[in-house]
Amino acid sequence: MGVFDYSREALDNLKIDDPGILDRLVDFEHARAVHLKKDRSKRDKRISLKEAVAEFVQDGDVVLDTGFGYVRTCIQSHFEIMRQGKKDLQMIGAPNTNQSYMIVTGSVRYSHNSYTGAEMRGTDRNYTRQLKTGKVRILSEWSHGGIAQGLKAAQLGSPGVLSKQMLGSDIVKYNPYLKVIHNPLKKEPDPSLFIPALYPDVTFIHVQAADKFGNAYIYGPTVNDLAGAAASRKVIITAEEIVPEMDIRLNKKGSIIPFFYADAVVELPYGALPGSMPGYYYWPRQWWEKLMRFSAINEENIGTFLDEWIFGTKNQIEFLEKLGGAKWMIEARRQTKAAEGDNEDIDFSYQEYTVNNDPGIFY
Amino acid sequence: MKNHAPANPLEILAYIISAQIKDNTIVYVGTGLPMVAGILARKTHAPNITMVYESGGQDPIQGGMPWSVGGPFTWRKSPVVMEMAYSFGQCYNGYVDIAFLGFAQVDMYGNVNTHMIGNDFHQPKARLTGSGGNNDLTSLSQNMVLVGLQTPEKFPEKVDFITSVGHLRGGNTRKEAGLPGNGPIAVISQCGVFDFEPKTKRMRVKTLHPGMTLDIAQMCTGFELLKPQGEIPLTPMPSSDIIEILRTEVDPGGVFTSLPQA
Repeated sequence: MGVFDYSREALDNLKIDDPGILDRLVDFEHARAVHLKKDRSKRDKRISLKEAVAEFVQDGDVVLDTGFGYVRTCIQSHFEIMRQGKKDLQMIGAPNTNQSYMIVTGSVRYSHNSYTGAEMRGTDRNYTRQLKTGKVRILSEWSHGGIAQGLKAAQLGSPGVLSKQMLGSDIVKYNPYLKVIHNPLKKEPDPSLFIPALYPDVTFIHVQAADKFGNAYIYGPTVNDLAGAAASRKVIITAEEIVPEMDIRLNKKGSIIPFFYADAVVELPYGALPGSMPGYYYWPRQWWEKLMRFSAINEENIGTFLDEWIFGTKNQIEFLEKLGGAKWMIEARRQTKAAEGDNEDIDFSYQEYTVNNDPGIFY
Repeated sequence: MKNHAPANPLEILAYIISAQIKDNTIVYVGTGLPMVAGILARKTHAPNITMVYESGGQDPIQGGMPWSVGGPFTWRKSPVVMEMAYSFGQCYNGYVDIAFLGFAQVDMYGNVNTHMIGNDFHQPKARLTGSGGNNDLTSLSQNMVLVGLQTPEKFPEKVDFITSVGHLRGGNTRKEAGLPGNGPIAVISQCGVFDFEPKTKRMRVKTLHPGMTLDIAQMCTGFELLKPQGEIPLTPMPSSDIIEILRTEVDPGGVFTSLPQA
């Protein structure tokens, strides 16, 4: 018998008959023990992405998706996880837009779901199909804010938070971790939702710059990544650039993940592709349009697409070549600089991918 | 005065949404039409609003249209970008006045579904996005405005999955569930603007768009719409000046306000 008293209603609704599978995400004692055992030495932690995935991702791990959908997300690390054939991962994120294609090849088997899809570019028909055929099992439903609070609770050093989100909704009926209790300080009944602190097993965080020890600098939305770094048992920092420690200390005022969370540091320029990277590159919009509008619609299309873009490339450099290489790099940098505030006169119109019209370019 | 083509339904929607925004307020916006509306409001009657996005971007200085609630235009030159937990916390703490979001289904009590179509969670007809920030904003915001197309399937008596509680089962049930704020105060569709009758919290016609009749609006709805006392007013339409601003300054590419080509 496990130590957690999960919501019976949610277990039944989700048809979870092996609730032990839920434990890792909320097992504070275990996470703390792992954190206490980490080597604190300030050492050069640089390794390759291949080595990082091989060493730190175990089949069945709970993986936290980071960044925001396709903004500063560690997508190239996901691709390497798929290339190495890691299996049966649980994926959590807010959003976890990127779990969908990882289900196809069996890398992701379990979903802690808050959002899948591509906003204006459409709902994710691949995810629907994977769900119906049982290739993915949803272990818990969340709102973005609920996951954010669970991760933040861990960073705060608290067993959980009382939230006013998700109350009364069906999300609570499909999340075994959540309990409605009353605010104990109120005389009148005051329903509040207990959200436990969340402790993922492994988290890749892609940042603009890091030193070799793992001090990592983020520019733009940090979303849940500062909390996720504090909570996760294993943290791998991947960075556009490796910079001297003094550059972080003197120049990088802003959001910093401290080095002692990091188990490994990977120098990984273009590691957020095919997403965007604030300060570095805009996103290849047609790639996502093709994924949503053509590739996601049946097993054959998605298989071909993944073979071409993920299994047909060895690393992010080959991926970049496929997007258009030097031409793409130049365009993507101009566009992101303009989008963020400089070079006001850049035109963002582009040739959209539609099923009937594939422009064949990605900028 | 320039000679304009009349406003298309998406432009009309953007205008009506913008009209809900009062000056000197903090406005939380989702992708798509709500962003267009927020920027339109800022360029017309409400120049001093602070727009907030799910990325945590606060008060960006506009460039182009954001393509994602995390995209650079949502935090362009922002003085601060909040972590996600804090940007929703700001709603709970009373630092958001009004929020706008879309839906896949909305029911007679303003409950929202963005999870699935069908009755079987494990075998849905369609699985949708899930909550994203929809639940957080609908749960916490002082005033929520829902925006979407109106059909009987999208306006059912009961949603297939309550992603976000509006007025739950009507009456006082939202408050009894522990939720703060007024919840949904308006639903805006291609038919009209709807509010919620104060006692029962059932959806009620507030205004109808020109050319729309109550019968047609009712035919687009899967439950009985309540009617206000007396004649139903027409929704005010955008002036040609506003259409001009919308087309030339707010969404010149027509990304969100041009109708899809057949």
